Amino acid sequence: MTLISVENLCVSYQTKKGVLKAVDDISFELEEGRSLGFVGESGCGKTTLGMALMRLLPENGRVTRGRILYGGQDLVQLSDKGIREVRWNEIAMIFQAAMNALNPVHRVDAQLREAIATHEPGISKEALQGRVEALFDLVEMPRERMRAYPHQFSGGMKQRAVIAMALACNPKLVIADEPTTALDVIVQDQILQEIRSIQDRMNISVIFISHDIAVVANVCHDIAVMYAGQIVEFGSREEVFNTPIHPYTRLLLTSYLTLEGDRPAPLEMIGRTPDLIAAPTGCRFYKMCPHASAMCENRAPEYRQATPTHRALCSLTS
Amino acid sequence: MAAIESKTIMRLNGISKTYKASTGLFGDSGQRVIALNDVSLEIGRGEIFGLVGQSGSGKTTMGRLVVKLENPDKGSIRLGDDEVGHLKGAGLKAFRMKVQMIFQDPYQSLNPHLSILDTIAEPLAIHGKGSRRDRRDKVMKSLEVVGMSPGTDYLYRYPHQLSGGQRQRVAIARAMVLKPEFVVADEPASMLDATIAIQLFRLLLDIRERHGVTFLFITHNLAAARYLCDRIAVIHQGEIVETGKTEEIIRAPQHAYTRRLIAAQPKFAYGGAEGKAR
Amino acid sequence: MSNLSERVHLFDRLAKGWAIFRENLLGKIGLTLLVLFALMAVASFFTPLFGPMYDPMTGVDPLISHATGPGWRHWLGTDFIGRDIFTQLLEGAKIAFMVGLSAAFISIVLGTIVGMLAGYMGGFVDMLLMRLADMIMVMPSLLILLLLAALFGQLNIWLIVLLIALLRWPGVSRVIRAQTLTLKERPFIEAAKVAGASHIRIIFRHIMPNVLPLSFLYMTFRVTSAILVEAALAFLGFGDPSQVSWGMMLQWVWKTGHMFQAPYWLLPPGICISLITLSFYMLGRAMDEVLDPRLRKEEFSE
Repeated sequence: MTLISVENLCVSYQTKKGVLKAVDDISFELEEGRSLGFVGESGCGKTTLGMALMRLLPENGRVTRGRILYGGQDLVQLSDKGIREVRWNEIAMIFQAAMNALNPVHRVDAQLREAIATHEPGISKEALQGRVEALFDLVEMPRERMRAYPHQFSGGMKQRAVIAMALACNPKLVIADEPTTALDVIVQDQILQEIRSIQDRMNISVIFISHDIAVVANVCHDIAVMYAGQIVEFGSREEVFNTPIHPYTRLLLTSYLTLEGDRPAPLEMIGRTPDLIAAPTGCRFYKMCPHASAMCENRAPEYRQATPTHRALCSLTS
Repeated sequence: MAAIESKTIMRLNGISKTYKASTGLFGDSGQRVIALNDVSLEIGRGEIFGLVGQSGSGKTTMGRLVVKLENPDKGSIRLGDDEVGHLKGAGLKAFRMKVQMIFQDPYQSLNPHLSILDTIAEPLAIHGKGSRRDRRDKVMKSLEVVGMSPGTDYLYRYPHQLSGGQRQRVAIARAMVLKPEFVVADEPASMLDATIAIQLFRLLLDIRERHGVTFLFITHNLAAARYLCDRIAVIHQGEIVETGKTEEIIRAPQHAYTRRLIAAQPKFAYGGAEGKAR
Repeated sequence: MSNLSERVHLFDRLAKGWAIFRENLLGKIGLTLLVLFALMAVASFFTPLFGPMYDPMTGVDPLISHATGPGWRHWLGTDFIGRDIFTQLLEGAKIAFMVGLSAAFISIVLGTIVGMLAGYMGGFVDMLLMRLADMIMVMPSLLILLLLAALFGQLNIWLIVLLIALLRWPGVSRVIRAQTLTLKERPFIEAAKVAGASHIRIIFRHIMPNVLPLSFLYMTFRVTSAILVEAALAFLGFGDPSQVSWGMMLQWVWKTGHMFQAPYWLLPPGICISLITLSFYMLGRAMDEVLDPRLRKEEFSE
């Protein structure tokens, strides 16, 4: 069953130099209990997308078009009161550099209690305590550490605390924006396993945002590759990794260094990411695409369906 | 009779370094953090040597000791045949012409008030090399080496006008301008996108090929070390747990920690096997 | 060709700075007022051309020898012995700029160098310099100046400037020291060390350009305090009697009992003191925005 459906979403920022279209015409669907990964490099719009889904854009950002359909409502049109009810109760977020999201002067269990109590005002003290303990168990943090302060935790523990915060109100969807970026690879592995395990146990949907394609590959059923504000490829993990269509996806895959396989020969990148204030009319990847033709420069590409679940934004055949 | 050039360019012997932990309310709390504990390494001329470790392993401290930003508490560092531990004054300055560093954060390692020309020319100016015109030529050549052509496009720009990848190239150009023998690269690509990072790595390989520079590549990413390095040392909590040829270590890790590192690496192969079983 | 590109780029940066400045209302008002005062100060050089009657100190109008109101001969009237008030006002502008800018400049140079040295060298040097700064900072500068004036008789204006500067550098040195401490750890400073830069080079080529914006900001504050101190000294009768400053004018108004009889004489210098102080402050606030490094956004070329 479809949990969230995004249709033709456009998000822009007002900057001194003009209007910057950070997210341009994004559409996707996410089923209950499935996870979707957004992969792309800096400036592709993935973080903006995550924030837009929660209606947490900064002052100068706005959704200019499109709908975000959740629970029969369009989140874009929802009132402030309405979105506050959805936030955290239904959709929760793990922010980038989330470890800094913990208040250093409050104990961790107190912060968890506050998160729950804010969204469930009538809850009793005993019930609150029970919930907090359950959360600690859920993220496999020892209960003895409950009364600690954030700075007494290691990076991995802080991240678990932040995950616990996100799960505090039993959301149906969690948006995780680069949750493991600042962590060592061994701790990262543990956290990713944690996320996968929680997802399985609680049947939560996850939207996972990362620049690291391998991390996304480990956690997500489906992958959306983003470039310059657009989804350039969308498909299941197997489809995107085994049969990538879009040249940018292939570039990303070859740029990723692994411990097995041959040493990749990187493609020469001659261009720069396009200006999103005066976006080009043709394909945005034109300048860097090794297969580009004259047609690509002038004509905006359309989605080609390779399979019912796999599509790419490219004009080239084969 | 020509001197036989030693194949080892850098020899580290019994290096130890301790830091005082944050002081208590009334002064030194007495807590000490052992950053490095009796570390020994040998790096061959023209090698790209990888020091692989996670945060807190001591790898960054190692890099700083090698370029003499700090001095070890115990142990010796030899560049070629010379002991460099007690260098001061002119001797230290001469050392600095031979050993350089590329820093991790491209957004902080360039002085925001200096133009690219001034930034790259700085080492030349410090060591009094050539006239202003000579230096400008050398800077142009350096920019070409790092793939920023035509150099004239970049000379008068300022760091905030460049992307992270470009800034890092400028940092490399600055490190190369004195034609050093040995360069420490401290996580040079960890703050860059993967597609930019791999180009930077290619650049380092290229520089090694053409100019015979030896690199100490410090990283937390074993896969990056595999791409770049001939030999690696795995460092954990201030100690070297394993050293050897990169491929051998990855194929047949001897130490438990190395095995954990390898197991934790997110795996997938392009066009091949999948990630871990769900 | 290289010099041309350099000049073009410098101009480009100045133009950008100006553009940001222009958008700031406070800055515009402050700058306008200051330009006005500067014009007054410049005009004071030309007043003797209008005749000996218009000399601020000695120019006594032969026809008038008492305080009179504004009129055609004397735009703001005359003081108690018939000297033109408007010329005195212009002269006061010159003195204000002279005193303000010199005292501020000297104290900023001192404070910046001390701050950088203390922050960069740390340890004993730091402790010594900061204890010295602390001692001077707690001294009441106006009181000390008054005491010195009382001890040595009237003080020469340049001596006043020097003393103000010597008593006021600690404030800026603390701020510069704090800034230096954070800069010291930045990678680009370490890169300079690795390249072989000497301490002097690092301080003056790498640290100084990064603290100068802060220095300039504090300079605007110092200018206001210097002007006020000089005005206070002059008003209390301890200024340089050979200089016609606004404070001195106020002293004359008060001493000769014209406080309530001659508003045309009392008000102009008082208003000028307030306005020039205000305008320097507004300028400082606007410059803060121009020079703030946070404004250097991540701009990509192309």
